[in-house]
Amino acid sequence: MKFLPLVWASLWRNRAESALTLLALSVAFALFGTMLTLNAAYQRSIDDARMDRLIVACAFDCGVIPLGYREPLARIAGVTAVGAELWLGGWQQDERHPIVVTLVDEGLRSAWPELPMSAADWRALDVAPAGIFLSRSAAARRNVRIGDTLTVNTLPGSRADGSSAWPFTVLGFIPDPPGWGPSTGGPASDMIVGNLRYSQNAGRPDERDDATSLRVAVDRPEHARAVCREIEARFTNATPALYCVPAREDAQELADANINMRQISLGIGAAGLFMILFLCANGIAESVRERLPEFGVLKAVGYRDGRIAVLVLLEAAVPTLLAALVGTALALGVSVLVARLALKGVINMPEMQASPAAFGWALAAALVIALLSAVTPLYRLWRSDVAAVIAGRR
Amino acid sequence: MSELRQIAAVCLLGISGLRDRYATALVVVVGMACVVGVLTSMLSVTAGLARAYLRPEDATRAVVWRGGARFDQARGLQPDAIATILDAPGIARGTDGTPLADAEFLMWLPPVVGFADGSLQLRGVGPAGFALRPDLRMVAGRPLGAGKRELLVGVGAARKFGLGVGSEVRLRDGAWPIVGVFSCGGDTMESYLVGDALTVMAARRRAGFAQVIAQLVDDRAYPEFQRWLTENPALSVYVERKTDYDQRAFGIKTAFFTRMAYLIGAIMALGAMFGVVKIMYGSLRARAREIGTLRAIGFGATPVVVSVLAEAALLAVIGALLGAATAWLIFDGRDLWVWGAFRLRVSPSLWALGLVWALVTSILGGLFPALRAGRLPPVEALRVE
Repeated sequence: MKFLPLVWASLWRNRAESALTLLALSVAFALFGTMLTLNAAYQRSIDDARMDRLIVACAFDCGVIPLGYREPLARIAGVTAVGAELWLGGWQQDERHPIVVTLVDEGLRSAWPELPMSAADWRALDVAPAGIFLSRSAAARRNVRIGDTLTVNTLPGSRADGSSAWPFTVLGFIPDPPGWGPSTGGPASDMIVGNLRYSQNAGRPDERDDATSLRVAVDRPEHARAVCREIEARFTNATPALYCVPAREDAQELADANINMRQISLGIGAAGLFMILFLCANGIAESVRERLPEFGVLKAVGYRDGRIAVLVLLEAAVPTLLAALVGTALALGVSVLVARLALKGVINMPEMQASPAAFGWALAAALVIALLSAVTPLYRLWRSDVAAVIAGRR
Repeated sequence: MSELRQIAAVCLLGISGLRDRYATALVVVVGMACVVGVLTSMLSVTAGLARAYLRPEDATRAVVWRGGARFDQARGLQPDAIATILDAPGIARGTDGTPLADAEFLMWLPPVVGFADGSLQLRGVGPAGFALRPDLRMVAGRPLGAGKRELLVGVGAARKFGLGVGSEVRLRDGAWPIVGVFSCGGDTMESYLVGDALTVMAARRRAGFAQVIAQLVDDRAYPEFQRWLTENPALSVYVERKTDYDQRAFGIKTAFFTRMAYLIGAIMALGAMFGVVKIMYGSLRARAREIGTLRAIGFGATPVVVSVLAEAALLAVIGALLGAATAWLIFDGRDLWVWGAFRLRVSPSLWALGLVWALVTSILGGLFPALRAGRLPPVEALRVE
C-alpha cells in the first residue's frame, strides 16, 4: 500500500499522455470484453441444448412426417416421450412481416419440457386450440396483448375451407427460450406456440396428420446417439425415411453453420490486446527511462531490486487493471450494439449477457499485459549502475 | 525557400529521425497492422462469398419461382408450369434450338458421417443446367450419364465431406455412386452434389422444382419476360433478375458479419487513434528542439504541421501494408465452408480499404499533435529539455 502514492504520482506525471494511454487500453479491453461476451453467448446456446433430447425430421428432403410415426418411435428402447410440432409459416400484414407459429401436441410437454410453458399454459392451450402463447420478445415485436387476434396468412388453400388466413387468439406470454433471447431478434427468439389440433381440425384433409418434426426424449444422454441410430435404421425404408440428431449437436451445428463470431472472437480479442501491448510497454519504458535518477535514489536509500520491481509492475498494472474495468463496462454497451446489428441483419444469434468469466479474463489479461510491459524496463533497471544513474551519466 | 520545398525538407528531417525513435514508431506500426489485419481478415470472408455468389454471367439471367417461394429448397413448380415458363419470350436458345433455361431444385441430405457435420445438398439439374454454367469443368471422372442413378460432386463439397469418384451417397432409394468431380470457377455450384433432375426426383418420390433459371437474349429482354410470366393467368410465379437473387442470398448470408467487421475495425481504429495521439505527442516532445530551430531560422508553421501528419501517415501505411500482407499470407485462398464452399479472398480492394482505414485513423490521431507543433513558439520549443 505504501507504494501506491509513488505509483499514483508517477502515473500522472504527464496527465495528457496517461489519459490517452488509459483511453486506448479501455477501448482495447472493450473489444476484448465484447468478444468474450459473444463467445460465451454462443457457447451458452449450445450448453442450453440437451443431449437427451432428439430432433427427428425427414431424411433426404425437407418434407413432413406423418403423426402416425409417434407410436413406433415411443416403443423404441430408451425413448421416454415423443412429441410433434408443425411450423405454420406465413406472414402478417404482408410478406415483409413473416411469422411462424409452432403448433405442438400434448406429447411435447414431456418430450420437450424445456419449452417454457407452465401447466396452466398447457391447460389453456388445450381448452382453446386456436390460442397461442408468444415469447416475450415475439410479443414485444408485434405489440400484441392478451385477447388480441393475430392472423397468419399463408399460401392459398392451406385450410380445409380453401381460405388462407389462420386467426389465432393471444392467450398469454411465455419467457424467451433459453439462449436465444429478446435482445437479438431472429426466428428462434420469435417463439409463438399454438395447438396442433387447430391444424388437424381446420387444415386441408391431406395435410392434417403432418408434423414438421418430432421431438424425442431419451432416458439418458449417453443413449442419445444409439437411439438416434436405431430410429434412422427402423425408418430407413419408410416413406418418408427419418433423420435424427441430438438437440445439443444440432445446436452446435447451428452455431457453426453461419459466419458466426464464435470461432474467431477470441482471435480478434487477442489482436486488440496485442495492439495495445506495445503502447503499454512503450509507456512504461519511457516512464522508467525518464525516472532513472529517481530509481537510482531509491536504490541508494536501500530499496532492493525486488521492491523496485514491484513498484514498476504496479505502475504498469494500475492503468491496465483500470482500463480492464472501464473496458468491460463499455463492452456491455458494445454488446447491445452487436445485438442490434444482428437484428437488422437476418442472422439469428444468441442472447448476450454480462459474463463474470469475461470480467475475470479481462483482469487476467490486464495483469499479463502489465507483466509483459514491465519486463524490458525492469531488465534495464536491474542492469543499471546506481552511481552512474544518480550522476546522470546513464 | 518555397513552402513546398520547406514541407519536403521538414518531412525528410522528421522521417530521418525515426531511427532514433524506432520504439515509438513501432507502436504505431504494430497498432495499425493489428487494425488492418483484423479488418481485412474478416472482410476476406465477405469478398470470398461475393466471388462465389455474384457472378458476372448472371447479369442477363432471370429466376422464376412459384408465387410465394423465394428459396432453393422450395418445390412448388410443377412440370406443366415449367413447360409454360419455357415458352416465355426473351429466352436465349442453344445451338440445337432448345431454350437455355433449366428447372432445378435443391434437397438436403443426411450427413455422410456423424450427426450434424455440415449440410450436404444435392442439386437436381437438367441438360440446360450444364449449358448455363460454362465454367463447369470435370476435374476427375466423367460427366453424368443420361437417366442414370449417379452423381457428380463439386470440388468444395468433395473437400468438405471427403467425397470423390467411387464414393457413394445414400439417397431415398439406396446408395448412388459419384462418377465425377467438377469445378465451376468458384461458383456456389462447387458446394453441391449434382444429379440429373428427373432421375433424382423419381428417387426422392416428391414432385416439384424450386426454380427455373433462364438465360435471356440480353438485358433488355427482362421486362417483357417478367411481364409475360406474371400476367399469364395459367401461372402463379414470381420473377426476379438473377443478380437480384444473388444479392438477396449474398446479403442474407453476409450482412451481420460484414457489419461486425466494420464495427470491430472501427473500435480497433479508435484504440489505435488514441495510441497515435499519444505517440505523436511524445514524438513532438522529442523533436521540440529541432522544430524550434527550424521555426527560428524561418520555416513556417505549415511545413511543421505537415511533417507531423506525414510521419503519422507513413507509419500507418507501413502498418497497414504489414497487416494486409499478414492477412493475405494467412487467409488468401484458404478454403472455408459456411453454407457452402468458398475461398477467402484478400482482394486488392481490401488492401486499398486497409490503407485508407489506417491513413484516416493516423491523420485523425496526428491532427492535434500536428496543430500543437505548428503553434509551438520557437523560444518555448528551444527550451524543452
